[in-house]
Amino acid sequence: MVIELILIIFGISIMIFGAIGLLRFPDPYTRLHAATKTDTGGAISILIGTALLAPAPLSVKIKLVLLAILIAMINPMISHAIGRAAHKSGIEPKVGIDMYARDNP
Amino acid sequence: MFEENLLLNPLTWVIIILLTTAFILFYRVIVGPTIPDRFIGVNTITTKLMVVIAVLSILIEEYFLLDIAIVLVLVNTVGGLVLAKHLERCAQDGN
Repeated sequence: MVIELILIIFGISIMIFGAIGLLRFPDPYTRLHAATKTDTGGAISILIGTALLAPAPLSVKIKLVLLAILIAMINPMISHAIGRAAHKSGIEPKVGIDMYARDNP
Repeated sequence: MFEENLLLNPLTWVIIILLTTAFILFYRVIVGPTIPDRFIGVNTITTKLMVVIAVLSILIEEYFLLDIAIVLVLVNTVGGLVLAKHLERCAQDGN
């Protein structure tokens, strides 16, 4: 009972921090950095906590873990595609060094 | 699931807090200066809604909702990749 509640509370708090970061960062790349990592970690944490907590049959728990694995594979891939598309459509990052432009001239 | 009073269940508070966070993120979707900003907001809202659907299926013991959550993740994948490729190709044609 304790480990599941710790996982769920960790997921909720990290999702709230991700939303605050998405609202307050100045730049699409930093917003991507704030949104995607916190969203993936929070969703995986909440789903595994729910799968441990639920008094459900085994197939339902397997579906929850499958959902967590799908999010862990899919969400970073979409994040990478958005970042690449944003850089190729000409949005300049507000940081000192642009490593992607240096590596792909 | 555990008690008759739903407000004593921790999964109810998961749903309430995630819906509030997703509603706050509509600011970034509506106001966002560039197109990738709006797209990041939509992607984050979709992931949060998927977690809400999965937790709701456990809460009210209607287990077929989990299939809807899995299909939502896959549709989000295809839509995200198509929109990212579209942005990239529009930038190349513009140059």
